[in-house]
Amino acid sequence: MRTRTPPGLQVMRTVVIADDESSMRLLVHATIESDDYLVVEAADGAEAWALVQTHKPALVLLDVQMPGRSGLEVLRSIKADPSLAATKVILLTAKAQESDIESGLIAGADFYLTKPFSPLDLLTRVEEALQL
Amino acid sequence: MVVQQRERELRRGPPRRPDWSLRNYMALFMAVLFIVAILAAFAVRSMAEQDAVQAAVADANFAAQTAATEIARDLVLLQQTSAQLAANPQAAAILSSPGSCGLTFSGGDFSNGHLDIITPDGSVKCSSKPLPVGPVYGAAEWLPTAVHTPVTAAPVLDPVTGQISAVVASPIGAGLGTVAAIVTLAPLGANLAGSLGGPRHLEFMVTTRDGRTALTRSLAPERWVGTALGGTAFARSVSQVERPDVDGTVRLYGRFMVASTSWIVFAGADKATALSAADQLSNRDLAVILAGVGVMLVVTFVVYRRIAEPVRRLSLVIRGRSAGGAVNAVGTTGAAEVTNLAWDFDRLMATVKNELADRLTKERQAVDSERNYRLLFEGHPQPMWLYDVSTLRFLKVNDAAVERYGYSRDEFLTMTIKDIRPRQDVPKFLELIAGTQPYFDKTGPWRHLMKDGSTAQVLVTSHATTFDDHDARFVLAEDLTESQQLELELHQARARAEANAELSKAKDEMVSMVSHEMRTPLASIVGFAELLVTRKVTPEQRSEYLGVMLQEGRRLTALISDFLDLRRIEGGHLTMRYAPADIKALIKRGVALIADPTGTPIEIRVPDDMPLVRIDGDSIFRVVANLLSNAHKYSPNGGAIVIGAGVVADMVEVYVEDKGLGIPADALPNVFRRFFRVDNPDRNGIKGTGLGLAICKNIVEAHGGTISVRSDGLGKGSYFSFTVPLARDIAQTGDVLVVEDDSGFAHLLQAELTGLGVSSIWAADAETAERLMIKKKARAVVLDLLLPGLQGEAFLERLRVQHGAGIPVVVVTLKDLGPAESLVLHKAGVTAILRKGPGMAETAANMIATSLTAELVAS
Repeated sequence: MRTRTPPGLQVMRTVVIADDESSMRLLVHATIESDDYLVVEAADGAEAWALVQTHKPALVLLDVQMPGRSGLEVLRSIKADPSLAATKVILLTAKAQESDIESGLIAGADFYLTKPFSPLDLLTRVEEALQL
Repeated sequence: MVVQQRERELRRGPPRRPDWSLRNYMALFMAVLFIVAILAAFAVRSMAEQDAVQAAVADANFAAQTAATEIARDLVLLQQTSAQLAANPQAAAILSSPGSCGLTFSGGDFSNGHLDIITPDGSVKCSSKPLPVGPVYGAAEWLPTAVHTPVTAAPVLDPVTGQISAVVASPIGAGLGTVAAIVTLAPLGANLAGSLGGPRHLEFMVTTRDGRTALTRSLAPERWVGTALGGTAFARSVSQVERPDVDGTVRLYGRFMVASTSWIVFAGADKATALSAADQLSNRDLAVILAGVGVMLVVTFVVYRRIAEPVRRLSLVIRGRSAGGAVNAVGTTGAAEVTNLAWDFDRLMATVKNELADRLTKERQAVDSERNYRLLFEGHPQPMWLYDVSTLRFLKVNDAAVERYGYSRDEFLTMTIKDIRPRQDVPKFLELIAGTQPYFDKTGPWRHLMKDGSTAQVLVTSHATTFDDHDARFVLAEDLTESQQLELELHQARARAEANAELSKAKDEMVSMVSHEMRTPLASIVGFAELLVTRKVTPEQRSEYLGVMLQEGRRLTALISDFLDLRRIEGGHLTMRYAPADIKALIKRGVALIADPTGTPIEIRVPDDMPLVRIDGDSIFRVVANLLSNAHKYSPNGGAIVIGAGVVADMVEVYVEDKGLGIPADALPNVFRRFFRVDNPDRNGIKGTGLGLAICKNIVEAHGGTISVRSDGLGKGSYFSFTVPLARDIAQTGDVLVVEDDSGFAHLLQAELTGLGVSSIWAADAETAERLMIKKKARAVVLDLLLPGLQGEAFLERLRVQHGAGIPVVVVTLKDLGPAESLVLHKAGVTAILRKGPGMAETAANMIATSLTAELVAS
């Protein structure tokens, strides 16, 4: 777990980025980097779920294809957890099949982005989700 | 089999064994009989002759003895007569009286002689025959003796008759005179022959004891009496029974001495007469023998007629050369045994005929039945044939097949069932029939090839059978109707679809994976590019972003090139450039590429004296790197990785062993398949195209090697190994050593050198180059500086240390060289430093060729 936000601002809302590709985490992180919220990164599903439980984040950016627990599984866990009712989820995936999108939305994802995506687009979606 | 052979023998006729026919035996018997008869005749004849001769000799002896006895008796009688007269006083008185004698002789008939009273002076005083008066016997030799003692002498010449005679005289008184009986000898022989000769026609001859004079002879006495026999053949053959008589006729003589005389009586039988009698006798015997032979001839002939001839005729009948039954043929001429045999034979024939008739009937039925079946076969509207399952040759085809396929029946019978299939179908067909065929089989559809080159879809129904001792298959080939064909095609398409389901699933997965794998790097590249374009970023960020973009771009490139490579390798379009290589150096480079400096080091287990291998260095490096990379990737918790190599048989085996995730047994057979990835959660984060091992397999197999994997299961690690061939012919290395990692440029250089008549050998790295120099020193070196592993400069340094300054070296490199570096190279005796680029291969080759020539001239 790494954080690029200075410590001491614990009241700030948290955004969790979960992707097994470091380059992707870097891109997403760089795109949504903001003083308004804390960004934490997870390299696989299990780590992501642990962070989600710890931080009760406002938003989770989930890669669907991850080792360990997949993005969809983490999503289902989040939706099944009442304490995480406020947590928004944006799915990021390289899978472009409609079935994947469908199952993602059914599972309760707030939004769905397919790779490659436009960082500006992503930022827009993040800001929408956080209602900034 | 045995029965057939026996039948063949019988058809050939009686065996030609050295057995004789009865006729021959008979002939032999006859010949022997004749020879024996002739020998017997000779024996009989010779014995008869011998007997005849013996009998004749015995007769002659007896006759001679009898004659001698008779003569002796006559002589005694004459002596008595003369003695009586001499003793008579009248005799003395007569002698003393002067006148003639008045004495009358009545003592016997002296027709052949006369009795005389003779005075000592030889005058006859008195005679039984009228004699001349005077001293008639005055000259006689015997007279002086005879007046004193009795005398018997012969031959003497009778002066009275003038004939050769014998004298028997007795003295009168003492010297007064003598009484002499003088007998003419000539008639004696004839008398003897008359009284004793008999029917044997004996010749009688009386000779003096010494045989010198013939006293008398029964044959021609007038000619021989008193003659000397000395010098005749008769006298010369003194001791022999058989001798020629004085005339030369051969006779068998017996002889006997006349008592108290010196005379010998010979009695001779004519030998020819004796023999002719014997001949007559023997002829009679011969006639008996001939009669016996004749009887034997007749007996033999009868036997022959009654046995041999009927047997011969019986044999003719059996061989079918004579009509009618055996009994008729033998008829009444045969012996009872032969006739019985003929009867038996006729009965046997009758039985056989009945059976034959039965069998013929059955065979005719069989033929009819076969004809019916043949009609079924021949006349069937659909093509049918029989083929031999071992040779695949057609054994029989029906009319429909001939008509449908266009081949004549004869053409069919020279073809195999492979010939009626399109070439591309043959392997599949052979595979099918190589397996155990079911007794009955309905396969199809098949494409069959017609003689005109067209093909037809046929449904083939076949079953196993035997035909003419061949294991055969009966085939019915049914042309497919359009609807049947459609149905079949549909069926096939469905089957194909099912068969391809797995593949298509794999392809779907591949598409998904390719999509994912490509989208992820693309997302980074595009994303960062957008950030760079749309945002103000710090130089550090800019550098970081660009680094990520570069890395992801490379990743994308690698992915794409993997796909392309695999397709090229699978399509056989990748050119392998084989060269000797040091596998240890290659492995070391692979380890250096993959090893994580922070993780567990990869252990290398390769002996230093590994022989060189013959490989395409880039490809095999890729295999090594891939296997190492996999070992590394799938050992998420670290764990030892070992790479090693060793000589196995005539190959070098390279293995990579890890203690990582391992592979479940059911997945092992699939790991080398394209797009196959072991599916378990532990490896979900491990990136891969699913192409690496497929590429490895293709590369190794292109080298003639094999690749394999084993694993004890999940969590137990994996063991991959592959083999590559040894470099065997490096003894024949070239004049120039090309040390160049770019196979394309190396190839170009070698081509240029070959064009200049210079042989060369290529080493893709400096380590291999060093090994090659040790094996055989090159005369010149073309050297790249930027090499994997050991760098060109280091290689040059070592070259000079080990092989001296005499070897010309041309450096061709992309490396930017500063003046100091160039100076170092020139100090190391480099002929030239060329910058890699178009045309430089030719330049380098020319320089090398020139320096080699100069070296030659210098030496």
